[in-house]
Amino acid sequence: MATDLRVLRPGKPAPRGIGRSLLLTLPIVVWSLLMFFHPGGTTDRLSLIAASMTALLMIALFFMMMRTRSTYRWRRVFFVTLGLLFPVGFIHTVIAMRGTMGIPIEEMIAGRTPFCFMPIPLLILPAAFTKSLVFPGSILPAGGMSGGGMAAMVALWLCITLVMGRGWCSYACFFGGIEEGVASVPARAKIRKTDPRWRFGPWAVLLAMVLLSLALFEPAYCMWLCPFKAVSEYVAARNTVGLLQNAIFVLLFGGLVIVLPFLTKKRTQCAWFCPFGAFQSIFNKTSIFNVKIDKERCRPCVLCQTACPTMSLTKESIAQGETLMSCTRCGACVDACPRNAVVWHIKGTGAAAKPERARLMFLYAAWAMAVMFGGSIIAQGLATLLHFVI
Amino acid sequence: MAASLIFGEALALGLASGPACIAACGPVLVPSMLVERRGVGVSVRYISAFLGARLLGYLLFAVAAWELGMLASMLRAPKTLLIGVVYVLLAAVLLAYAYSARHACVQKCSDSKLVNIGETKNRGVAGAAVLGFLTGLNLCPPFVAAGIRAAELGSLTAALLFFTAFFLGTSIWFAPFAGLSCVARNEAVVTVARMAMALIALWYLALGIAMLMGRKGYGY
Repeated sequence: MATDLRVLRPGKPAPRGIGRSLLLTLPIVVWSLLMFFHPGGTTDRLSLIAASMTALLMIALFFMMMRTRSTYRWRRVFFVTLGLLFPVGFIHTVIAMRGTMGIPIEEMIAGRTPFCFMPIPLLILPAAFTKSLVFPGSILPAGGMSGGGMAAMVALWLCITLVMGRGWCSYACFFGGIEEGVASVPARAKIRKTDPRWRFGPWAVLLAMVLLSLALFEPAYCMWLCPFKAVSEYVAARNTVGLLQNAIFVLLFGGLVIVLPFLTKKRTQCAWFCPFGAFQSIFNKTSIFNVKIDKERCRPCVLCQTACPTMSLTKESIAQGETLMSCTRCGACVDACPRNAVVWHIKGTGAAAKPERARLMFLYAAWAMAVMFGGSIIAQGLATLLHFVI
Repeated sequence: MAASLIFGEALALGLASGPACIAACGPVLVPSMLVERRGVGVSVRYISAFLGARLLGYLLFAVAAWELGMLASMLRAPKTLLIGVVYVLLAAVLLAYAYSARHACVQKCSDSKLVNIGETKNRGVAGAAVLGFLTGLNLCPPFVAAGIRAAELGSLTAALLFFTAFFLGTSIWFAPFAGLSCVARNEAVVTVARMAMALIALWYLALGIAMLMGRKGYGY
């Protein structure tokens, strides 16, 4: 097995021993058990089966990350599963609770809209100017349909984000998983060259939506541009403008999440459009983790640039030895480099610092979040499927 | 005495309504300022032109509304029609602005040298004036509040004085926008501003067309 892996990935270090890999996986085993089987949790038989399957999946994937020393392909299994199962669990819940995927105005006035992290940057200016939140949900726990309440969700997001930076977009965002799944379908990209200026798109959408949210006193992105409304909940259209809004959601989802990822093999929605991703990029500055490129080892073969799903590497950034600000810490570039020139890094440590140690520290934080946040969503989706099947 | 009372009241109303004014004008003003050249002088000139034209829009609307006797009791249909026309015009100007800024003098992000130096013609005053005039005609909530109060005054002169003082009160809130002159003008900033302008223009266009068709502006 070890020999096979070496043959498949020339230049990569040998895989870890099974015993050592198991030992490194142990903290995630304990964390998964705590998250999925904590006292006071569900006692429903099918939900327990779903939780067990999810815990096994998360532990197995982390074990493989430890064993093979590669990150991207194992993370992708989790991420795509998350992206596929999120709509299953979510749509089932909204239909069970409200009877429709459409949000009627009555639900919004009652503050029963489930909270999503996407409008967080849109809440800041209206809150600063008026001390009010423009999102129609409840701040208090159990007030919204997601049950957590906005205050808890924002606090949780902030803590994670300060540590992980835009790692959120590769280990927690259930929307990104859908397009990563689509991008992984074709063997080769049909479109290989795109205008590099499109990478400024997320910042433009962020600027426009922040300004419009303040002007309209509503989360403009959720009302007009969120492609994922197509697979979560849409505007209960009662007039032409409502129909137009829904048409925009479906068109953007089809274009940015299905067609373009299929043609480019990239996460185009994340790279070119998502305002939350742009906002999250700012926190790459606060995160202690980053990805570095050893300029002495690097022969500019641009395999890392080709592998990057969010187009966060350019020839210029490679020459400077770093990724762009939009890096989502997915690990694709590190795994793709045949000379081990692209490495995980902890800011403030020297070039001689062991990259595998930095990778482990990042992965413990990222996977703990993935188990807690994404794991619960996967378990919910699985439980929904099991309820239908059994 | 009466004039100073009116002036004071309008100024206070303007000061109180300022945040709503910058919220209403922000989507137009911020990206269009970001494609202009850097420098406090440029920004101050730009904001002055914007505000001057906005005042002109205010006063013209006030005079027209006063003469037609409909300032306070404007019917829903013509009001929607007027906002629809203003939105479509704003969209057209913003799109033209975004297109014309393609030759902005910018610095490429990855390069320390100036690149892509095109015609650095001064769009500032004309562009700012058109945008300011159109936002002045836009019936934003503070403007309506001032309009209703002005309609209660005895004469057109008093109403105009009221609007001018109201405008001065709101204008103070625009001063921080001059801080945008500190933002670096490189390829990233100019491209982001152009794209944002196009996006905001599309929003105005969609809503404007819906209003011209007599549809409700919101989806619920």
